[in-house]
Amino acid sequence: MAEHGHVNRKSYLIVFGVLAVLTILEILVALPSMGVPQGPKVVALIAMALSKASLVGLFFMHLKYEMRALKLTVALPFLFPALYAVILIGEAGWRLIR
Amino acid sequence: MLRSERFSRTSEETEIHMTATATADPGGHSVAHALPPDEYFGSATPGKIGMWIFLLSDAFSFGGLLLAYGILRGGADVWRHPGEPALGIPFTAFLTFWLICSSVTMVLAVAAATEGNRKQTILFLGLTALGGIGFLTGQFHEYFGLTPGHGLTHEGLIFGHSAYASTFYVTTSFHGAHVLTGTIYILVTLARTVAGKTNANDIEVLGLFWHFVDLIWILVFTFIYLL
Repeated sequence: MAEHGHVNRKSYLIVFGVLAVLTILEILVALPSMGVPQGPKVVALIAMALSKASLVGLFFMHLKYEMRALKLTVALPFLFPALYAVILIGEAGWRLIR
Repeated sequence: MLRSERFSRTSEETEIHMTATATADPGGHSVAHALPPDEYFGSATPGKIGMWIFLLSDAFSFGGLLLAYGILRGGADVWRHPGEPALGIPFTAFLTFWLICSSVTMVLAVAAATEGNRKQTILFLGLTALGGIGFLTGQFHEYFGLTPGHGLTHEGLIFGHSAYASTFYVTTSFHGAHVLTGTIYILVTLARTVAGKTNANDIEVLGLFWHFVDLIWILVFTFIYLL
């Protein structure tokens, strides 16, 4: 194996801590006994899940330290599925309530 | 075989490429980091960029499944029919935490490999493989029960009986197949590391796959279990 100097592990442990705390918060928000209304619950859970996924991608997968071309190659294509999700799931829900 | 031979492009590029990576270490394998930095992709190796592109396509497969789930659920009058069990949040939350821990051991394996510390790389790869095996055992328990009479299949969640059941099994088993693949990938890389046949780049590319499996589970856990 090639030697490339010391790697600072501090950011990994901080990210681990944040992921653990967010997981606990998710469970608290999701448990029916906590009585969080459906609207805020959905928004909070999706926001926390996307934050956790981003932390894994940026720090554990080192995307934060890659060059711009690789970041854009990986991130930009997700705009399309996100758009499809909003349109198609919204449409399904709209047909239900109209 | 030299890495440069496996990733050869045009003959001219290959010549430059091979010149850059011709130095093999005493173990007989190439040192991938000897590649000259690219204008756009820096020192990212072809193997790493290839893994990223694969993961992107894999993410779209999961995206398709989650989209189908969202459309079916968003348009359903009744999602969970009477007699069908709710999904167990506490147990799956534990599995989620377990998988996050295995991502940490993987990132520590990559760090050790980058530092050229083979002993630590082997230790953390071994722990990560145990993480994968533990998760698969947990998922088996959730589906079929490690003790008789337990498990969702015994409690009335039957594939093909409802969109709730089918989307659950298709999405989580597709993820489970990734955990199984990842665990085998780790064990093979672990054996190759013990034999001195890997370099830091090999461990980093393996790490990308494993973190992706964790990343997808974070989303599956929220959309399928928590919402």
